[in-house]
Amino acid sequence: MLTRVKSAVANLMGGIMAGSSGTDQAGGADLPLRFPYVRPEFLGLSQDEIECSADHIARPILILKETKRLPWTTGYAEVINAGKSTHNEDQASCEVMFVKKKSGVQSTPSKTSTTKRRSSLPNGEGLQLKDNTEVDGITFQYWALFDGHAGAGAAVVASKLLHHHIIEQLQDIVDILKNSAVLPPTCLGEDPETVSTNSRTLTRAASLRGAAGAPGSPSTPQTRFFTEKKIPHECLVTGALENAFKEMDLQIQRERSTYNISGGCTALIVIYLLGKLYVSNAGDSRAIIIRNGEIIPMSSEFTPETERQRLQYLAFLQPHLLGNEFTHLEFPRRVQRKELGKMMLYRDFNMTGWAYKTIEDQDLKFPLIYGEGKKARVMATIGVTRGLGDHDLKVHDSNIYIKPFLSSIPEVRVYDMMQYEHSADDVLVLATDGLWDVLLNQEVSEAVINFLSNCDPDDPHRYTLAAQDLVMRARGVLKDRGWRISSDRLGSGDDISVYVIPLAHCNRLS
Amino acid sequence: MAYAYLFKYIIIGDTGVGKSCLLLQFTDKRFQPVHDLTIGVEFGARMITIDGKQIKLQIWDTAGQESFRSITRSYYRGAAGALLVYDITRRDTFNHLTTWLEDARQHSNSNMVIMLIANKSDLESRREVKKEEGEAFAREHGLVFMETSAKTASNVEEAFINTAKEIYEKIQEGVFDINNETPIPWIPSELQWRPVTARSSDLRQLQTGDSCEANGIKIGPQHSTPGSPGSHLGGQQAGGGCC
Repeated sequence: MLTRVKSAVANLMGGIMAGSSGTDQAGGADLPLRFPYVRPEFLGLSQDEIECSADHIARPILILKETKRLPWTTGYAEVINAGKSTHNEDQASCEVMFVKKKSGVQSTPSKTSTTKRRSSLPNGEGLQLKDNTEVDGITFQYWALFDGHAGAGAAVVASKLLHHHIIEQLQDIVDILKNSAVLPPTCLGEDPETVSTNSRTLTRAASLRGAAGAPGSPSTPQTRFFTEKKIPHECLVTGALENAFKEMDLQIQRERSTYNISGGCTALIVIYLLGKLYVSNAGDSRAIIIRNGEIIPMSSEFTPETERQRLQYLAFLQPHLLGNEFTHLEFPRRVQRKELGKMMLYRDFNMTGWAYKTIEDQDLKFPLIYGEGKKARVMATIGVTRGLGDHDLKVHDSNIYIKPFLSSIPEVRVYDMMQYEHSADDVLVLATDGLWDVLLNQEVSEAVINFLSNCDPDDPHRYTLAAQDLVMRARGVLKDRGWRISSDRLGSGDDISVYVIPLAHCNRLS
Repeated sequence: MAYAYLFKYIIIGDTGVGKSCLLLQFTDKRFQPVHDLTIGVEFGARMITIDGKQIKLQIWDTAGQESFRSITRSYYRGAAGALLVYDITRRDTFNHLTTWLEDARQHSNSNMVIMLIANKSDLESRREVKKEEGEAFAREHGLVFMETSAKTASNVEEAFINTAKEIYEKIQEGVFDINNETPIPWIPSELQWRPVTARSSDLRQLQTGDSCEANGIKIGPQHSTPGSPGSHLGGQQAGGGCC
């Protein structure tokens, strides 16, 4: 209660301050934290344990102790970085959620209803009902990983709130999703003509008739005046997830005037809803399915390299975003003043290949995207191009904001769980870049397959132990010259977090 | 809670010798007859007083199973004290001490204080290892020895506290050079998410934070040594350094 009063006051203050000045006190270090720094709730760690775990020298691998705490006997393990930041800036959360149609729901969300719902968000009150009556709602599972940078704030906030935004988005479409026999109506509130679905075209035709205002009997095919896209149910879930990410980012943007929400974070989240896995990724974490020895990538990474063309195009259209300090063109290396007038290789937003151009004065500016692989940066600052937060992030010693180049939009991939009978060793692996920086998909897959096949199939800890094994393989052992993994390669000095989610669970459910 | 020093301990020994029970008895003053097998590592913490100084013990309880051995080995680093535990009712746990000791000596700070603990002293009727044998082993390897019972709490306090006293004495004698700071191992620059100077072609190399953790001792805020590192508890946000 007290916190709520405090936050109400803070909100008020925030409003006043936001109005009076645009001071860019990056991070708002004087403001209260939105949430205190923690480790994932499901690890059940005390403050003392969190302190012990923040050991950058021994780097203890924390694992899930209570296997029943997570759905599907999901396994989880994590380790702190080797000293690059005081805190482990990765965060995770995992929930079983129930989404119910909002009572008195309007078919067209009005401005007022949106605001009202938002204000009830922070505590997630009434959203996380432990109700099992599937009649008027849908239960779904949620796994999430966040990799923070420049502070733990945004990752902590996202780990506490993103799932509420997902519920928020799904609430509006619960009924439509449950009614899998009928394609989602194009326009809500129009004659809900429930055709008992002989075929999809018939349904479409029926809805078209509705739209055209030409009632007729279902048996007489109507003339189609215009074509209409058929939107399958899963696209509505994808849309809901995309909007949830956007809303989460907007919430951080709003609340940063009231709270100290430091840095930004990537987000990789998975929900299992109505027989399908939806993997949403904004950032450089990764998800793969290992099924019968085969690797199925479930995400792609968003980095300055993979998003070069989008970023260059934006900079081309909005050159002021570069603050007269950067050029949107890419060169293989820094251009030197003495090279003016010479021909040098370059590429623009429209190119994947390279060409020569005459070096001009403006080409001497620092390139928008510079560096290779893990060292590639946008405006010499950030190495990941999608995620949440970072609203106050600026190029060092300048007034140039990075945020316009960052996107909060996830890529959503769908995996139909019903298409395949999964074995106990078929898993979905989610991990932050700490794992993937040092291990190939193939190595991860081999490690998991090898571990699980040598593990008692009834051991409730087997997936957690497999996750621990992966973390250990990526962290390695501290030797004289740093952390080393197999064949004396450099181990990961980054925070590493790994979920191993068994897929066989669904077979039993259905 | 303010403390003058923080000591890191590690508890090692075969599976089932009572490591977790010793920790629970020491931190919570209770005994749990049926204890889940420890997988990975678990932590406990307690404040004690030595020589009028508050000392925080941070205790790492490890898995005894062979399959976790490579992981356990990495946890010795930074420990100031170790409790090496065997079970007086199981001779094999005594026979394995040499292996444990080798592991500990190889992977820890050479000044680490090792206490040999003969646990389950309440089960006298099932004793397989004589007290004298434990004493002889300890003498031979330069360890402190103590028979304990996590069940009756006999000698449990003493085991943890005497280890701390030993470490404390070493500090007083200057054996542990607590101001000798070992740098944190090199961290690849690509892990640095942003450079200090933008537009410089090179990216920031992490200022290798200096560590006082390497020998398992941290100096707390109560301590008034000038220039001593800040407390781990007091303020978490010490810039590039570790504590």
